[in-house]
Amino acid sequence: MTLRVAIVGYGKMGRIRHEAMERHGGFEVVVACDTSQDPDANFAMVTDPLAVYDFNPDIIVCSVPNMMIPDVVCTALERGKHVFSEKPPGRSSDDVRRMIAAERAAQDRVLKFGFNHRVHDAIEEAKKLIDAGTMGELYFMRGVYGKAGGPDYAQSWRNDPAQSGGGILIDQGIHMLDLFQMFAGRFEDVQSYVQRNFWTDVPVEDNAFALMKNADGIVASVHSSATQWQHTFRLELYLRNGFVSVDGILSASGSYGTEVLTVALNRLDTTGNPIPNPESQELRFTEDKSWDKEVAEFYDAVVKEEPLRCGTSQQALDVMELVERIYSADPEWHRILQDQTPLPDQAI
Amino acid sequence: MQTPVFLDHLPDVNTVTGEKPARYRLARNKALLELMLDRDTTWTVRRNCPACGGDCAKSKNFSQTLLEFQRCSDCNTIYAQRVPSQQTLDRLRLDIISRKETGDTGNTREFEYISLMNWISLTEARLQRPLDKVVDIRFASHATAWPESTRRLSHNRSWDFLPLSLENAGFDNIGERLRNIAPRAVLMPTELDRVADPEALVRTIKHSVPAGTVIFIASSCADGLEYEILGADSPSFIPLDRLTVFSIKGFEALCAKVRLSVLEISTPGRLDAVILDRYFKTTENSNIPFWSGFFREADQNRLHDLQILLQRSLRSGVLRFVLET
Ligand SMILES: [Zn+2]
Repeated sequence: MTLRVAIVGYGKMGRIRHEAMERHGGFEVVVACDTSQDPDANFAMVTDPLAVYDFNPDIIVCSVPNMMIPDVVCTALERGKHVFSEKPPGRSSDDVRRMIAAERAAQDRVLKFGFNHRVHDAIEEAKKLIDAGTMGELYFMRGVYGKAGGPDYAQSWRNDPAQSGGGILIDQGIHMLDLFQMFAGRFEDVQSYVQRNFWTDVPVEDNAFALMKNADGIVASVHSSATQWQHTFRLELYLRNGFVSVDGILSASGSYGTEVLTVALNRLDTTGNPIPNPESQELRFTEDKSWDKEVAEFYDAVVKEEPLRCGTSQQALDVMELVERIYSADPEWHRILQDQTPLPDQAI
Repeated sequence: MQTPVFLDHLPDVNTVTGEKPARYRLARNKALLELMLDRDTTWTVRRNCPACGGDCAKSKNFSQTLLEFQRCSDCNTIYAQRVPSQQTLDRLRLDIISRKETGDTGNTREFEYISLMNWISLTEARLQRPLDKVVDIRFASHATAWPESTRRLSHNRSWDFLPLSLENAGFDNIGERLRNIAPRAVLMPTELDRVADPEALVRTIKHSVPAGTVIFIASSCADGLEYEILGADSPSFIPLDRLTVFSIKGFEALCAKVRLSVLEISTPGRLDAVILDRYFKTTENSNIPFWSGFFREADQNRLHDLQILLQRSLRSGVLRFVLET
């Protein structure tokens, strides 16, 4: 069965999704909407997001800036379309609640968000290792995700809170938070420091540090940074019987390196205590299959009615609530946020 | 197919070049010489590479302890030109085991055992399939403390140990026992390079276990820098224990021939760097471009870096395969 696709927002992400759908083979892009027209497109291009419905699509791929996501998603669901949307899921947890209400009203329509880190090979391997139980109980997690902010940092819509809802944490750190919750469930208890260090005139954070604990007592610490300079992804999970870490993450730019999964089981001495520095196994992943896996899962959810595992609206809500908890847990940052002009739709 | 790297500290070179391993090497080479002088010994001459089937006429040959070896020009596997019968080989192995000259360096082997157990545990987790019934093929005969280690450290798994024994010479008995046990996994860390006909052994296992059985095999590896540089001069090259030293390409060819799918390949050997270091630091007048200078100047950190690089490049002197029937 071939699904007719309308892509709303045909920029970098829209094109990545398009290519993945072409590789899959079960999709046909019939129209794309963007402010700039692609002269090479072999499908219709429109500038009005509502015009895509004239082409009778089965699904809407939503690859627009954060502040436009809720409107595009809700309209699509109201018109009975299945929706695949980029992350972050809007600018706030209220945005996600609005989309969840539209999803419920649309009943059997699929809504999936692109939290693709869950399906990176190294992450999936780490999950398998932990789920097997061999590693024992999870004690704590550490995550670092950072980059150099980039030459257009101050001008980018991503760093305009009215459009994005926040800075590096909501844009990039959100993936790490989503992984934490995938491994350990919801984190309610949060302490944080949110800072502007380099881009002091830009109204969003360029660094966020958080220490959090879930109901089972599992502790996680995250550092999300736009002043990391050296592009870095590192997730470490420490368990009763050993540890698992993922260094690097395959990305479109390739600048976060290949994915290296390291796993070790402790060696015990005669008294049953772990001997330091156990033998570890290192597995290297060099091909980013995450886009293809996301598209395949979405297709199976729409066509075969299989339940979504990754990128559900509940996961989206959980992670946006955690982002907000981190922003508000730093009293100083909380005050700065309150002093800023409220988001346009919240001002009404 | 995955290619893991097994990171650990550098071992002490004395596990290969020390007094106990030297006594073992001497005893094994003496047994080989006696075998060669015994007119009653029957030998099977190999005309093709036991790994890829390549013609031995195209291979390069060398000898060690008067036994001729070939290095296959197609797949790089090293193999003895002629081999004694399996019964004879088993008898000689049992003889040296009974004299307690196994080269076993005592409790230092616990890390080796843990590495094997963790290899199975982590593979099981990644495959998402219980490997709760394992058959060990003959490793326990070499490593007497191994069964006790599995009892103490390998929980949630039952173990059967198929020993090397005179009554059970040959592979028929292995096949029969495997059919009776119907294991989920088979572990064979010490046989591939020591048996007369490795293909026959691999076929026996494949045809005696249920479909989907996971086979963990380890052996010496001809692609290892140790064998590439030193060849038969490596202290670990004991002819009776290295009748077939598979290359990665060679063992992959054998697996394809026997129709075993390869799930994982690695070369977790840890000794190449320290063996070569010892060789170049003690051998006067060695003049191998690059390597002589490299090892004369190398400290422990450089050796460790090199060993990891060799593993990452599938170029260390030990190979491990995870196969599925
Ligand atoms: Zn060959």
